[in-house]
Amino acid sequence: MKLIIGWLYPQLMSTYGDKGNILVLKKRCKWRGLDVQILNLNEGFKTGDLNKCDLLFMGGAQDRQQKIVSGDLRKKARALSELIEQGIPGLYICGAYQFLGKYYKEADGTIIKGLGIFDLYTENPGENIERLIGNIIIDSQFGKLIGFENHGGRTYLGKNIEPLGKVQRGFGNNGKDGFEGAIYKNSIGSYFHGPILPKNPKLADHLIKLALEKKYNSPIKLVPLENSIEEKARKTIAKRLNVNL
Amino acid sequence: MNFLIVLFGKLFSKLIIFSNLGGGATWPGHIALNMNPVFIKETLENSRTKIILIAGTNGKTTTSKLIQHIFEKNGKTTLHNSSGANLLNGIASALILNSNFFGKVNKDFAILEVDENTLPLALRQLTPDFLVLLNLFRDQLDRYGEVNTIASNWKKSIEKLPKKTTLILNANDPVIAFLKGNGRSLYFGLNERSNLSQTEDWADSVFCPGCNSRLEFTKVYFSHMGEYLCRKCGFKTPKLDQSKPYFPLSGNYNKYNTLAAVLATETAGIKEDSINTALKSFNPAFGRQEQIKVNGKKVQIFLSKNPTGFNESLRTVKNAKSVLFALNDRIPDGRDVSWIWDLDFESYANSFRSTIVTGDRTYDLALRLRYALFKKFDPVENLQQAIKKALNITKNGETLYILPTYSAMLEIRKILTGKKIL
Repeated sequence: MKLIIGWLYPQLMSTYGDKGNILVLKKRCKWRGLDVQILNLNEGFKTGDLNKCDLLFMGGAQDRQQKIVSGDLRKKARALSELIEQGIPGLYICGAYQFLGKYYKEADGTIIKGLGIFDLYTENPGENIERLIGNIIIDSQFGKLIGFENHGGRTYLGKNIEPLGKVQRGFGNNGKDGFEGAIYKNSIGSYFHGPILPKNPKLADHLIKLALEKKYNSPIKLVPLENSIEEKARKTIAKRLNVNL
Repeated sequence: MNFLIVLFGKLFSKLIIFSNLGGGATWPGHIALNMNPVFIKETLENSRTKIILIAGTNGKTTTSKLIQHIFEKNGKTTLHNSSGANLLNGIASALILNSNFFGKVNKDFAILEVDENTLPLALRQLTPDFLVLLNLFRDQLDRYGEVNTIASNWKKSIEKLPKKTTLILNANDPVIAFLKGNGRSLYFGLNERSNLSQTEDWADSVFCPGCNSRLEFTKVYFSHMGEYLCRKCGFKTPKLDQSKPYFPLSGNYNKYNTLAAVLATETAGIKEDSINTALKSFNPAFGRQEQIKVNGKKVQIFLSKNPTGFNESLRTVKNAKSVLFALNDRIPDGRDVSWIWDLDFESYANSFRSTIVTGDRTYDLALRLRYALFKKFDPVENLQQAIKKALNITKNGETLYILPTYSAMLEIRKILTGKKIL
């Protein structure tokens, strides 16, 4: 069996160690004897390349990079939207998560239109309002997810989308409603970096499993992997934040 | 007013050192600035001291120490805000300790290193004769924000500088080379064969700071440091203003620090020969390639606090037998450890006979090594035990190389030397 993982804008959208998410997906496939190929989708990539992918990943970026990406991705918005609607699994972090929403309102009121695939919007309350920064733990269908968040934007979910989880420690989408991230069909959006997948192997395996099932159209059971270092890394943060795993 | 500040500051500092509360490097300044917010400005305007201000993500302390060493070996007197006291309070403290009761600084040169966020604030208080800008890399995003944000804040305050300030800029970092003041700009940089064919994946500044187009790199030394050209607006690596000095420290990294120090001191009037003579007797700053002997074994510490710094350290110790990596996530280290995933551990998976990982985030680092396919590594959470174990594994005649983040470096040094430094 073989998976093709499409990495959207690896050069532009990878500010926060996002490379780690790709590494984890790749290695967890390889350790199970699955063939895996990473398809780098850099600015100017052919829209047709999106259709080759079984799993998508896109990370966060600085403002300047984000502008270049938004110009490029808008041209491919319809293709990406179709894939997401069809249930191609994907993981979208921080800037990518915001960009899939309806809009991003800058501190001065300027509205940057998003791709409108996720029913959510984001507002930046301004430079004088504190960014939401720190270790975070949430309850999700993949168990407790543990990571680090660092974002100025506050994201609010609409009716047609579910949160990824409930915040136990930290801020989450907006620091108010107690939710973090979003799930729509098989796509996941989140503010977690750190990166998200190394310390949350259940989520990584969930994405791999979904991608395989979608591609081969049959139920898949993944070979379990040894996760003892992962457990210890999770425990370090859980203990510090006084959360039982 | 400033007379009282200096008097109390000096006394207070003595008291802190005497009562073993710390090195007194920031508190006197903190109090001084509370009493008189323009204390730095007044004191320096009142003095004949020439000011050299140094900023950049990596290399501030080493560059400052190099500059200080070159000046002192050539009979000049200097002051330096040492030991990472690089906020305004650290600068004010250094001034207090080095001025007389008339509020006059009694040194030829004030060598002041400032934190990335502090540079614009510092430039409101003082006008440097020389402003040395080393580089900008992603570092502690939780504390400093993004590289582009820092760069645009720098740009705004540097544009306002008067003619008397000479800029000493790194020609190989596009964001730095792009900066312009109203006086002279001089450029330092490497001029040798490049070791990479393209900028590293995670490099920060691969776009033209002028027009946002992708830069074309013809040489890359590490990260986004190299020779570049913008095909759209013509912005390119400026011509270098310097000769090749003696390099007292290993690593490309330190070459830049040396080049910056040489260009600054040369411009300040020290002769090339005298600079080179001084460089030959240079000893590194604590934790920066410093060598310590422990029970007959050599230990060398390479402070490695962000992706670029850590990668350069790895490159420098690639032939080591025994290494210890220490990752803390306290405020001086940055609470976010995601940057370890940007490190190029993959290239060293089979390099070392023994690898021990330690620090507050031992298992995050262990996890990183697992995914980099390191064959053998030992996580040891307790720092003291980790060092003990690493020393035991290191054979006589071998060197144990330690790559720690900032607060881990301070602790390790304390353990190895039995002394306190700050």
